[in-house]
Amino acid sequence: MTWKDIQPVPTAQEFIDIVLSRTQRRLPTQIRAGFKISRIRAFYTRKVKFTQETCSEKFGNIVSSFPMLADQHPFHRDLMNILYDADHFKVALGQVSTAKHLIETISRDYVRLLKYSQSLFQCKQLKRAALGRMATLIKRLKDPLAYLDQVRQHLARLPDINPTTRTLLVAGFPNVGKSSFVRSVTRADTPVEPYAFTTKSLFVGHLDYKYLRYQVIDTPGILDHPLEEMNTIEMQSVTALAHLRAAVCFFIDISEQCGYSLQAQINLFKSIKPLFSNKMVFIVLNKMDLKTIEDLDEEMQIELQNLVKSGDIELLKASCATQDGVQDVKNLVCERLLTERVNQKLKAGTGSNGVIGSRLSEVMSRIHVAQPLNGVTRETFVPEAVKGLKKYDKNDPERRKLARDEEEANGGAGVFNVDLRRDYILDDSSWKYDRVPEIVDGKNVYDYIDPDIDAKLAALEEEEERLEKEGYYDSEEEMEDESEVEVLQKAEYIREKHKLIRNEAQMRKSLKNRAMLPRKAIKKSFSQLEDHLDQLGVDTEDINLRGRAQVRETRGRSMARSRGTTEDPDAMDVDNTLGPRSAKERLRSQSRPRERSMGATNRREDGVTDETARTKAEMVAKLGQRKRNRMAKAGEADRHIGATMPKHLFSGKRTMGKTSRR
Amino acid sequence: MDCPTTKYPTIDDGGHWNWQCRWVATTTMRCEPEGSKHITDICCRVGVFSTLTNSYALVAVGASENFYSVFEAELQDVIPICRTTIAGTRIIGRLTAGNRKGLLVPTSTTDQELQHLRNSLPDSIRIQRIEERLSALGNVIVTNDHIALVHPDLERETEEIIADVLGVEVFRQTIADNVLVGSYMALSNQGGLVHPKTSIQDQDELSSLLQVPLVAGSVNRGSNVIGGGMVVNDWMAVTGLDTTAPELSVIESVFRLGEGAAPGAINTSMKETMVESFY
Repeated sequence: MTWKDIQPVPTAQEFIDIVLSRTQRRLPTQIRAGFKISRIRAFYTRKVKFTQETCSEKFGNIVSSFPMLADQHPFHRDLMNILYDADHFKVALGQVSTAKHLIETISRDYVRLLKYSQSLFQCKQLKRAALGRMATLIKRLKDPLAYLDQVRQHLARLPDINPTTRTLLVAGFPNVGKSSFVRSVTRADTPVEPYAFTTKSLFVGHLDYKYLRYQVIDTPGILDHPLEEMNTIEMQSVTALAHLRAAVCFFIDISEQCGYSLQAQINLFKSIKPLFSNKMVFIVLNKMDLKTIEDLDEEMQIELQNLVKSGDIELLKASCATQDGVQDVKNLVCERLLTERVNQKLKAGTGSNGVIGSRLSEVMSRIHVAQPLNGVTRETFVPEAVKGLKKYDKNDPERRKLARDEEEANGGAGVFNVDLRRDYILDDSSWKYDRVPEIVDGKNVYDYIDPDIDAKLAALEEEEERLEKEGYYDSEEEMEDESEVEVLQKAEYIREKHKLIRNEAQMRKSLKNRAMLPRKAIKKSFSQLEDHLDQLGVDTEDINLRGRAQVRETRGRSMARSRGTTEDPDAMDVDNTLGPRSAKERLRSQSRPRERSMGATNRREDGVTDETARTKAEMVAKLGQRKRNRMAKAGEADRHIGATMPKHLFSGKRTMGKTSRR
Repeated sequence: MDCPTTKYPTIDDGGHWNWQCRWVATTTMRCEPEGSKHITDICCRVGVFSTLTNSYALVAVGASENFYSVFEAELQDVIPICRTTIAGTRIIGRLTAGNRKGLLVPTSTTDQELQHLRNSLPDSIRIQRIEERLSALGNVIVTNDHIALVHPDLERETEEIIADVLGVEVFRQTIADNVLVGSYMALSNQGGLVHPKTSIQDQDELSSLLQVPLVAGSVNRGSNVIGGGMVVNDWMAVTGLDTTAPELSVIESVFRLGEGAAPGAINTSMKETMVESFY
């Protein structure tokens, strides 16, 4: 049932406002006489069509949102017929639907006319006429729209009655206590007042019995008169009685406090009896606190007994005022209803040849309890603490404190942070918050956790002790003789030496980013030579002296000039080997400035005959360099090809002023 | 036979993330959220986010304490309840399997989680990480303290580990032709609930194997994923909020929860209710 969410139906005036303002808001409004006529026509055609589409959509929604009577359950169909008059309802919806068609026709006609209009004025008049006619049509729907809105409101408030579920139907004369009964067995808040026809429509309450939910329908009171004379209120009861497959509880007030005689009530029962065919009927004698069945006179008692004589009707007693028997009535009726429904279902699920249908067999497999064959009962493990546990009650002020309470007290969800370590079960509770490393020295600690570590350690210690006791560690071996010690020492020394040499060689060979040099070019200091020779055990005295002497000899020029006159016997002369020089030569050498090293040739002038040739050569050289310079080459051997499209110059956005920079 | 389930839950004012646990009989309860809709997922799939045994309970670490408190209200000071994640996820009920004696966790469990579990549970409970391709252990193993049913494709080593750690006999079984025995069955030492489409013959065979009464049933208004919708031990069960009253009555009866509940009631005194609600 989706009757709760039918959209409100606007009144005719509101409807016109909605449609026209929508046309105004949604479409362009600017038009000039100077525009092309085709454009003007299109402008107004669009207006007419749009208005029509809006109307059609709205009317269509209204018609489709209301329930189709033909599709409803007979109960709902009849109920609506009584409450809203099916004819009236259908006519109203039909009028809306007709209006929709008419508006579509109007729109079609005027669009056709607009095609022949010659001016803006003509177009405008045609549009006005079209919209005016549509508005008139809508105005004529004033009554149906108002009626439909009322129906909508009433439908939304109808109780949600499911015609197929387990139902208890409470019926009887007005003021016999039907509503009181419904009030006392369900949570429905049916109004109870001490006057007739307090209940003017159907009320629904729900009760639970054996884990199942039953709906209890409280009906308005019925008076004993022909069907044609019954009013809407009574007819609702009759509809419910006629169409719902329910257990009917017919209430009778034997105290006659309701204002109707017992005889009248019995007559009513008899007259509406045709409605009870195929139904379970219970006669509930209410208000037993006022008058019991024994207080009645003989005739009436017999009359009542006659009612239930046929056997399919039961007589029950209750008092809603004192609540005596109310629950009994409820339980008995529910039980009978349940049994009846289950029997019907079992019958429906079983074929005529006694074969159980697939759907029923599924249910049967669900109510089958598979018991173990040889009846061993498995041992259960219920802690003792459970037995003494007080049941948790949310509303008890001395209830157990839960994590939820703690969370609430500390800022609620999302703020409060749970302490996961608090409930740790450890040997020493002070260990709970110890910080345990997860990774140590790049190794996952957990990989090395051995559950048997204590046992293994104990075993090791035990073995150690045993060995100690056995004297395993007592025997110390001593060195046997001196010679062996010496050999060992020497071997150690040699090994050490080897290691040093190897290291040094490696050091030497490693280039350390320097060029590889031939051995001749490697400078080696004199002291290094001396050390080396010393180590080898060679006497270096002589070499030392000779070296010093040679060093002095190789000095460019002696500090003291050697002159013939001041010949020092110790002094060494460079030219000594050349033999004695002539005086002239000596003098000449003295007058000459100190000898200067000189390049072999002047490369600039080498191979060039004269000045002109040289200039020419220079020009050619410059020319040869021009291309290289332009390409930013380092020299003629430079084969480097730079990036052709440097990323930084070609990527990214160019905003203002970036072009020149690139 | 007037059952106390009939009362509508009282809605507390303004509680977002609020859970109520609703008592149906003495020991079965439904998790009940209020407000925010997305928690409903947890409330129905209790068996996904928790594990319950006779000696401990595991509860997923959640955004709020409400789910934990549902268990806490009943198990505080009775058995340890441990909030944990497994492999960083909250679906711990489907990833772990355990009973009174032990707990099996999948290979994806981190070392820290394992350490946390070890610290939170008493030493008498053995915890074992299993190298098994079918890593959702809760879906492939269903166990009580005496016997375990497992997925037919489980490795032999795993089977041996289960027998050693949980101290049970292990049988490879299917339930209503489903290999995920853990998903489609809930088992305690007193009874078991199996997939609603399990045939009577299968039920009888399984029952003889397990030596406990079995009933085919559903949870959470007709869901056949029983293992995912409820957790049970020998004295209490927690079911999803959507569970209907007839479903709860079946659970109470078959697991013998509450005073005088016995599985026999299902096809005797409650038979009519069952037919009426399930047909």
